Amino acid sequence: MANKKKSDENLKGSLYAVFGVGIIIILLWVYCFDLFINRF
Amino acid sequence: MSLKNNLTKVDRRDAKLAMAHIYVAFIALLLGGLAGLLQVFVRSGQFTLPAGIGYYQVLTVHGVLLGLILTTFFIFGFQIASVSRTSGTFSNGQRRLGWIGFWLMTIGTAAAAVMVLLNEASVLYTFYAPLKAHWIFYLGLTLVVVGSWVGGAGQILRYAQWRKENKGSGQRSPLLSFMVVVNNLMWFVATLGVAVSVLFQLLPWSLGFIERVDVALSRTLFWYFGHALVYFWLLPAYMVWYVIIPKVIGGKIFSDSLARLSFMLFLIFSVPVGIHHQLTEPGIDATWKFIQVVLTFAVIVPSLMTAFSMFAMFELRGRELGGKGLFGWFKKLPWKDARFFVPFIGMLAFIPGGAGGIINASYQMNQLIHNTIWVTGHFHLTIATTAVLTYFGAAFWLIPYLTGRTLTKSLNNLGNFAAILWAVGMTIMSSAMHIAGLIGAPRRSDYSEYGGAQQAYDWIPYQIAQAVGGTILFIAIIIILYIVVKLAWFAPKGEEEFPVGEVHENGGTTPAILENFKVWLVILVALILFAYTIPIIDIISNSPPGSKGYKLW
Repeated sequence: MANKKKSDENLKGSLYAVFGVGIIIILLWVYCFDLFINRF
Repeated sequence: MSLKNNLTKVDRRDAKLAMAHIYVAFIALLLGGLAGLLQVFVRSGQFTLPAGIGYYQVLTVHGVLLGLILTTFFIFGFQIASVSRTSGTFSNGQRRLGWIGFWLMTIGTAAAAVMVLLNEASVLYTFYAPLKAHWIFYLGLTLVVVGSWVGGAGQILRYAQWRKENKGSGQRSPLLSFMVVVNNLMWFVATLGVAVSVLFQLLPWSLGFIERVDVALSRTLFWYFGHALVYFWLLPAYMVWYVIIPKVIGGKIFSDSLARLSFMLFLIFSVPVGIHHQLTEPGIDATWKFIQVVLTFAVIVPSLMTAFSMFAMFELRGRELGGKGLFGWFKKLPWKDARFFVPFIGMLAFIPGGAGGIINASYQMNQLIHNTIWVTGHFHLTIATTAVLTYFGAAFWLIPYLTGRTLTKSLNNLGNFAAILWAVGMTIMSSAMHIAGLIGAPRRSDYSEYGGAQQAYDWIPYQIAQAVGGTILFIAIIIILYIVVKLAWFAPKGEEEFPVGEVHENGGTTPAILENFKVWLVILVALILFAYTIPIIDIISNSPPGSKGYKLW
């Protein structure tokens, strides 16, 4: 119970959300890098 | 006026000064938005401009009015109110500086606008050589810049007065005022580049005192200013996110130190990075382009710090309201409140906007999108959605606050509707621009079919999608203007809140170094000298003969 309460007070969601933003950025970058490699 | 009122209410004289700026900003939104609508119609290939109006003339009106005038005037209105609200009422001298700045900027805007409307200055909003405008256009822009220096000085002096009056009290200066000062200092340093270019190159060239100018130098000086301009647009949006939104959602500022550190990092990394706009420029050595690319990437640090701070502020508040699980707190946020919802859409747009920016700045990959309409799609996400929707969300409480009226429920709902419309229109228009750019469609071109070229046929559906998205955006602009008019003159009289957040009790103490402007300014100047001295010496010493001016349309 104590552990559950603790998990509701942490910033785990924020951490995952920021990592999610980072992953979106990296995926778009990789897609464009692939286009770049194919074109030049 | 009681002490309590003095700390929560903006003085009526300061309110009048702030509102004067905001009126000009929204007039610019109407005219600039109309010009944008005409542009997307022309690019669709289905419409020709009437009465001899040129595409590049309309393009210049759109860029100058929305990129330079709407932004600068709204930012100044917001900043004046913010400093007055958090540092205290302006003295008569400080307010006088504000009015002198306002009139210089307004006269300069009118002079430049007349020249653009007469087709004497269709030089696009970047206005560097070899496109040449009438000297009155350059003089007008000079007045806008000088006016912003004078008005900005008034705001800084009020903040300095607060620090002097509270010296030794151990208090950190008001966060919102501190942020205003950072933004103004960055603006002063950045506009020096454009001031040098206008005073020593473009004005004498336009007046006929000199025949030729160094084009690469003119472009480099513009982009020295031009990238910091992007942050001059964004930092006021960050002020709203960091300081206003916590109060609106009933939460707390996650960390005062983090907010101040991220602003100082934006200050030092916003200016010495302009060459990433010139990655295909032949006259700049690859080493210096690489160095400025690295410095550009440093901006990702305060950007992700800001992202974390926002999520953390939302999560803490959402959990306080009973949100469970990993993301349950997200549902607890006040989604019906336009003061939160409209800027939130702006925050969301910054995720693809920032990602696209990293691709633009990725040196070799820049070749993929350079001068394509991808770039237009990119900055319509960053400035025309992230920054502008945050400004609109702020205007919904700021205007009634300053005019002594209230944001009614129906106007609040209409604001949310306009933001949804904006999001839909911008998703269609900006996505189409990004995709068309990746398949080679150029920006800044009034041709749609390129004489029947096969490749251009692939672009047409995306250009039609841009016209559809642009039309939806124009409808959203009309709704926003309706709300602004109601809030300024017709909404019920009453008291609207100027929300200023408090720092979370676990936010920690703020180190004094984060308020030591001297240290950060020295770092900024050192970085600028490092990043620009050799490239500029190279450009000056190896440049070909300068260019005559061109008026192509």
